[in-house]
Amino acid sequence: MSWFARRSAFTQSLLIVVIVLAIAGLIDAASAAPFGASASGAPSPVDGFTGWILMKQAEFYRMLSGAIRAAKADGTAAFGLMGISFAYGVFHAAGPGHGKAVISSYLVANNETWKRGIALSFISAVLQAVTAVAIVAVAAVLLGATSKVMGDTVRIIEIVSYGMIVLIGLRLVWVKGRAFLRALAPPQGPQLAHAHAHGGSHAHGHHDHGHHHDHHHHAHVHSEACSHGHHHGHAHDHDHDEGHAWGHAHAPEPSELTGKHWLRRGLAAVVAVGLRPCSGAIIVLVFALAQGIFWIGIASTFVMGIGTAITVSAIAMLAVAARGLAGKIAASKAGGGILLLRGVETAAALAIVAFGALLLTGYMVSERMIGV
Amino acid sequence: MTGSRFLALLAAVYGLLIVAEPARAHPHVWVTMQSELVYAPDGTITGIRHAWSFDDMFSAFATQGYESKVKGEFTREELQPLAQVNVESLKEYDYFTYVKIDGKKVKLKEPAPGYYLEWKDAVLILHFTLPFEQPVKTREMVVDVYDPSIFVDFSFAKQNPAKLVDAPAGCKADVALPREMTFAEGKALSQVPADQPNVAMAIGAEFANKILVHCP
Repeated sequence: MSWFARRSAFTQSLLIVVIVLAIAGLIDAASAAPFGASASGAPSPVDGFTGWILMKQAEFYRMLSGAIRAAKADGTAAFGLMGISFAYGVFHAAGPGHGKAVISSYLVANNETWKRGIALSFISAVLQAVTAVAIVAVAAVLLGATSKVMGDTVRIIEIVSYGMIVLIGLRLVWVKGRAFLRALAPPQGPQLAHAHAHGGSHAHGHHDHGHHHDHHHHAHVHSEACSHGHHHGHAHDHDHDEGHAWGHAHAPEPSELTGKHWLRRGLAAVVAVGLRPCSGAIIVLVFALAQGIFWIGIASTFVMGIGTAITVSAIAMLAVAARGLAGKIAASKAGGGILLLRGVETAAALAIVAFGALLLTGYMVSERMIGV
Repeated sequence: MTGSRFLALLAAVYGLLIVAEPARAHPHVWVTMQSELVYAPDGTITGIRHAWSFDDMFSAFATQGYESKVKGEFTREELQPLAQVNVESLKEYDYFTYVKIDGKKVKLKEPAPGYYLEWKDAVLILHFTLPFEQPVKTREMVVDVYDPSIFVDFSFAKQNPAKLVDAPAGCKADVALPREMTFAEGKALSQVPADQPNVAMAIGAEFANKILVHCP
């Protein structure tokens, strides 16, 4: 405990927010480099751990083509293909485009348990596989569409997916940021609570515009969480109800987190991430289709999804562990360290917005869909 | 645990996430290339003629939805619409081809008409020529072919990777293979135990594919 401990709780929280955002900002530099570099001529090196993962993915991906051909000639070779698909999934998820950062930030912001983290990671990975199979099945098998049409479809899905990530992040920033501000300056009287509640109704309308899904999902949480409707009268909502309805804006007790609505709440995030299929899976599916063994391609895609889910879960677990630790530290502080927790959550929510915005603007390229 | 240690841990976790997230995608398309530099009678270089063979998975993917008379085989005519799509979308990526003379960029024009796709042994081969905006007379020139985002992995064909067409006597083209290392780098790499991943050194992309043109 050195200089850090001597800061006020506010300064500490602010520091965390700044540090997280600064790291998020590094994405800019890291992801902009290859494109900036394309003008200057020299590709930036891919080194270290990332380089190794990149190499492994490429290795397994290259093996897929041979394994699919082998499976065509001899059905038993399909088992080998599944093994390769699994390994590819595990390594591939370490690369971009599988929402590790979004899911992890989401778990931190919402103080989810590790079990839920695993569940959400698996759902998003399986959903990615489902999207890939659905696109190829509908576009290629049913409609006989070209690869360009599939690529264009994926691009539209991408935009929707990244847009959803931004909206989910914004909503969380709203909820967590307000809780953070409230922790900074606790409400003095009923007037202040009233003012807060008004702010709430405002954001509500805003969300309704751009994001129907999320809103509906919210309506659910509302009716479940509050016996008296939030939308009816803001005036007599007290702080507790409001926080509850907005996804635990106040310090959640573990008991409050049980129940099914974590799934509904998490579903929007999982759908946002899982909507976007990975291009590798689509290429594998079309290749299998061309070989006349589409069903083997489907099996391979789902096995890949399971591999992906394992990696995403593992990384999500790290985030959950860090958040748990933050909770412990906060508990040992005077006043429960609420400010620290709210600061961490707000930072995580801001990170989600940053990821979504970078992806949406194409500044951070998740994974290119067939440009050639 | 102190606050600062917690802070360090949190930063580490986020750092990990963020480092992992923008990690560039691994290649999804492999191209084996043969390239020719085309000279005019006056000894100027007029352009680059590429022949890019795609890998079998991408070839199957790219031809999806294109009809052919013989199943699993495509004629040049049947592939012409696809060739057009390919060439047009390559524009956005500067055709992955970067030409330099004395460190200065040589401007390329859009591919000359007459580009086409060939179907051979279950893979696609894209033939196209990139004319220089100004034909140029030079003794030394460097052509880099790479994809900065590593979505496409380029490598030279083992046979005839680069050729000079109608070049003045004495000119030759050398190919710097990707992943070709200096002695020191090779030595450093050899010191990584065989059962351990190489986590210390750059791999791949910085060792781009280069065609080096020398004239006396």
